Amino acid sequence: MESLDILFIVQLLIAGLLAGALYALLACGLNLVFGVMRIINVAHAELMLIGAYFAYVLYTFFGLHPLISLVIVVPVLFGLGQLMQRLFIERVVGQHELSSLILTYGLSIVLMNLGLAVFSADFKSIPVLQGSIVLGEMITIPITRSTAALVAIVITLMVYLFLKKTRLGKAIRATSEHPKVAEICGIDVVRVRMLTFGLATAMAGAAGVMLSTIYSFSPETGADFILKCFAIIIIGGMGSFSGAFAGGILLGVAEALVAGFFTTQWSEMVAYALLVLVLLIRPTGLRGIAYAR
Amino acid sequence: MPGNVSSTTPARNSRFQSRVTGSLVVPWLKMTGVIAIILVALAAPMMTSDYILTFLLQLFMMLALAQSWNLISGMTGYVSFGHTAFFGVGAYTGALILTAGLPLTACLTPTSLPWFLSVLFGLAILCGAAVSFLVALPLGILTLRLKGPYFAIAMLGVNEIGRMVATLWVDLTEGGDGITLSPAVLPDISVTYYAMFFLGAAATGLVAWIHHSRFGLELRTIREDEGAAEMIGVNTTRDKVLAFLLSATIPGAVGVVYVMYTSFVDPHSAFTPILNLQMIVIVLLGGTGTIWGPVLGAVIIMGFREFLWAEFPAAHLALLGVLVILVVFYMPRGILGLMDKRKAMPLSHSTNHAPTKEPMP
Repeated sequence: MESLDILFIVQLLIAGLLAGALYALLACGLNLVFGVMRIINVAHAELMLIGAYFAYVLYTFFGLHPLISLVIVVPVLFGLGQLMQRLFIERVVGQHELSSLILTYGLSIVLMNLGLAVFSADFKSIPVLQGSIVLGEMITIPITRSTAALVAIVITLMVYLFLKKTRLGKAIRATSEHPKVAEICGIDVVRVRMLTFGLATAMAGAAGVMLSTIYSFSPETGADFILKCFAIIIIGGMGSFSGAFAGGILLGVAEALVAGFFTTQWSEMVAYALLVLVLLIRPTGLRGIAYAR
Repeated sequence: MPGNVSSTTPARNSRFQSRVTGSLVVPWLKMTGVIAIILVALAAPMMTSDYILTFLLQLFMMLALAQSWNLISGMTGYVSFGHTAFFGVGAYTGALILTAGLPLTACLTPTSLPWFLSVLFGLAILCGAAVSFLVALPLGILTLRLKGPYFAIAMLGVNEIGRMVATLWVDLTEGGDGITLSPAVLPDISVTYYAMFFLGAAATGLVAWIHHSRFGLELRTIREDEGAAEMIGVNTTRDKVLAFLLSATIPGAVGVVYVMYTSFVDPHSAFTPILNLQMIVIVLLGGTGTIWGPVLGAVIIMGFREFLWAEFPAAHLALLGVLVILVVFYMPRGILGLMDKRKAMPLSHSTNHAPTKEPMP
């Protein structure tokens, strides 16, 4: 009986880690944008869904496996993100929060309704990956989820290394730390912001592709994810890449534990409970930069 | 009621206070205009068809909701994406109280019944406002003591939580089936109309009163530069929370009257995010943080919706989204801002972390 309980908990922890990796990928992009521009992108989950529908289209019309379409979706969304930054977001950088929040809210409404018009409200999915890995006698890991988590972790790690090790990454971090000084030092901050939004969009797109292999999705799925992402970046700390990663994993694990010991419906509330807890105890989050206006 | 035309731009109002109080003719003109609107609105139930009355009722509903959003988001710059939650809370409170009053109507004599019902309606509206207030209190204290986007983020989730609670707490709310009210406890359409008109007018009056008060000035100082406001001795947390509480009680009352009008409430209709989108569009279009902007915006948006967008329900939302984007880009200060010929003050934030760009075109 004792070992059964431990196995059950291990199973839940693994499930939580796998789900958390996907959250982390999504939230890291959101926090990257916030760090560099101080803009909360309310349309971030819709960018993810663009990735998911892109993979869906490639799968239904060309029979492309989602893992292969990743190679197409990520660069395309990288470009799309740069374009969006150029056309929309750049115009509200440095403006009052009201402008950027409402602009991205408007973008998310437009994207969602475009999705509804093109793909209808029906749930779609790409059921290509099946089966599960069985460890020992009790622990089973679904292949879909572990693949998605693996891809998510690899991409997050690549972006992290890019930020830490390359000159461009350094420019992004410098702009995030102090845009004016960065500009004085000769960094083209407009380009850096384009690059940042492109990266975040590409990460969201990759998350969307992986999401499409696990869950069924509709244009309205974005709402659940964006709310969780917001909770994650507050839990992890606004603007912190590693904080968003930690927050994502934490939320995934907490949700899995609550779903395992209570019910799935309660697990939907975990994000908010953690959010309230963090706001009460440590408003800057686990690794947050103090938010000063 | 507002004193003069020039006070439509809050940022300037504080700077040019002495100049704008000079004009005396404009306030009288405006006063007459306001009284005329009120008289027409009061006489409407006797003169027009039910269709127009229903339209006006919805107009006043959106006006009250938009003004409540204006009160927190327009004046302080703290964006609420979850204002519909208070509307939903009010709607459910109203539905529950009216349902609770139903058994009592059976044991009353025909003469005492109208009295009982008017007390019941009043009670329901007050309770709707009170429950909204109580829901808003912890939310405001939790998120508004922090600067920055915490409030906006938290409010995005609040509406979802409301919908979830309304769906899952079946014993109280009957879950997804919703609550249908008996006609025995529902008022006549003209009563609902007057109640909604009163709420719209009261919300506008409240915004006008705050706009001209010291409190309003403090709120606008917070919007322009919260750090500076703190420095000159404004109790920013108290002001923000107070503004939020006032702003949350209005949708609570509106929700109750809405239920009296539709006689039905379910999680989907009570917590629809579309309502919040409409509030934002109305306020932005008319002019953020102004008294008459939301009135103008409500008339335009509701008129459009009635004549054009009712035809394409799906495209209607996307159009609203496009409108939001266009307004943010090209009319950041709304129609009232455009009408103001003097040089526009950019909405930019000098102390924002990100570099200050040139003002929006």
